Amino acid sequence: MQRSWLQSFVKAFRADRQLRYGILGMVFLLIVIIFAPYIATHDPYSFDYTRLLAPGTDGHILGTNHLGQDVFSMIVYGVRTSLKVALISALISGAIGVLVGGLGGFLGGKVDLIISELINIFLMIPSFFLILLIIALFGNSIVNVMIVIGITTWPSNAKLMRSQALSLRERTFVKSAVALGESNSQILFKYILPNGIFPVIANTTRGMSGAILTEASLSFLGLGDPNIVSWGQLIYQGKPFITSAWWISVFAGISIVITVIFFYLLGDGLNHVLNPKYNYGRN
Amino acid sequence: MSRFVLRRLISGFLTVLTVFVINFMIIQAAPGDPVKTIMGKETDDPQLRMALEAKFGLDKPWPERLWNQFSAAMQGDLGTSIIYNRPVGDMIKERVLPTVLLGLTSAILALVIGTALGIFCARREGSFLDGLFSTVSYTLDAMPSFWLGLMLIILFCSQLRWLPAQGMVNVRAGYEGWDKVVDVLIHMILPTLTLTLISMPGYFRIAKSSIQQVTSEDFILTLRAAGIDDGKIFRKYIFKNAILPTITMFGITLAFLITGVTLVEIVFSWPGMGRLTMTAINQLDYPTLMGVYLIMSISVAVMMVVVDIVYALFDPRIRYN
Repeated sequence: MQRSWLQSFVKAFRADRQLRYGILGMVFLLIVIIFAPYIATHDPYSFDYTRLLAPGTDGHILGTNHLGQDVFSMIVYGVRTSLKVALISALISGAIGVLVGGLGGFLGGKVDLIISELINIFLMIPSFFLILLIIALFGNSIVNVMIVIGITTWPSNAKLMRSQALSLRERTFVKSAVALGESNSQILFKYILPNGIFPVIANTTRGMSGAILTEASLSFLGLGDPNIVSWGQLIYQGKPFITSAWWISVFAGISIVITVIFFYLLGDGLNHVLNPKYNYGRN
Repeated sequence: MSRFVLRRLISGFLTVLTVFVINFMIIQAAPGDPVKTIMGKETDDPQLRMALEAKFGLDKPWPERLWNQFSAAMQGDLGTSIIYNRPVGDMIKERVLPTVLLGLTSAILALVIGTALGIFCARREGSFLDGLFSTVSYTLDAMPSFWLGLMLIILFCSQLRWLPAQGMVNVRAGYEGWDKVVDVLIHMILPTLTLTLISMPGYFRIAKSSIQQVTSEDFILTLRAAGIDDGKIFRKYIFKNAILPTITMFGITLAFLITGVTLVEIVFSWPGMGRLTMTAINQLDYPTLMGVYLIMSISVAVMMVVVDIVYALFDPRIRYN
């Protein structure tokens, strides 16, 4: 069992180019995260208010910002922030989405009517502005940012999970579980959720790139956590110096683009592999 | 059909109601005291406090305040800014036009250019240009809009010195009439370019994939087998069937027009609603924040309902679900 799962993974890895690049990208980011102290040339938290250096001077590969912090080292440490935000907010959004959508689709009837209306309503609410409001009023710690992104992005996951649960409910193995008298929560957690979760996983991966962009946008508006290093904040810090010290904003933005592309590739690849329309893993 | 319209209207109304309640709850629960902000940190005169609380209705219990605000908002009264002491509705009205001008222009450009490129690439799948455009689109899709705006400022303003980077008009020149129109157009170029580039990938992707999907369907093969000219098949059958998702997407873009422009407005100091929001956030101007968010949500809800109804008119499958 274990081996056949591994085999189909290898097959999918070989067959789908986007999945391959996506996974390699994730491995690269993980390496940067783990070995950040060795890769970084300077301490990103060491300040020197008298120096704003161009790239290549004094061992600062990508220069320094207006506080004298080394841009390259800040970018290296910034991977940690971005990935933390992506992962935790996606987990929150995925968990709420899967539970709400799974319940609605599986139970049906009035519960489903209310849940699907709720999903529709929350899909129509402009979420970036809601996040902005909450962060502006409740303070901008990174924990707040992650939680708020998580609890405002669940509706698309719920919608996917609901349609999965709706179709799974009619399948024989679920019906026989009902006939055997298994309780609703047992059926939900043992059969519905594990079998319907795959499209949600692919969607959540796309959602992670959304979370990275949202965090960057908040930081760019000056609503980021001032106690940590993040790419959005580097761009924000570089904005007043855009005509004189372009390097502060430029490299941080490039890092965001590359990371988001890795997540897109992984998400698209997973979508190909986990979507039953494609059949890489099975034949 | 009328049942479908009614259901959509109800859910649109529920959305606005939900936004209102969420808005109210957030502001109730938020730390910070607006009365203190007006009075100044050093003053603590109980009488002044009571007078201010009575003026803004903060002395009443919360259910009453919620109801008062809701019924006022339904009559078009969004409250008074506690910083500028002006009706929030008026402040928003002044800012709507620049935002809509920017958003609508770039939405139409993105629709036309993105869809055209998508169709072009779908018909030449695997060619060099297809690969190039697809890669560029993928990259643009991953780009933060505000960063792209800054990069364009570096290129066109600080390096080439071709275009202005800030604002909507050249205040110092004080142009009138036709000159002013030209001035606004010149100031519009960079923000519009940024927004167009950011929203193009969506149209590109949708146009390309739906053209490919329709092309691979059996009835197209049949038409081709019948010997009908390829160009005619494309114009009469493929295009008409494949353009529906693009129309939906354009509707959704229109719905989120005001919210989507915010960040780019801030980069280019465009005098729209985005900047109004930023100042309101920095000054804890709750009524203004609430008003802006409410107007945004209402416009989204109204547009989404309109889009759904228009779509149901085009595609009968939708309304019988």
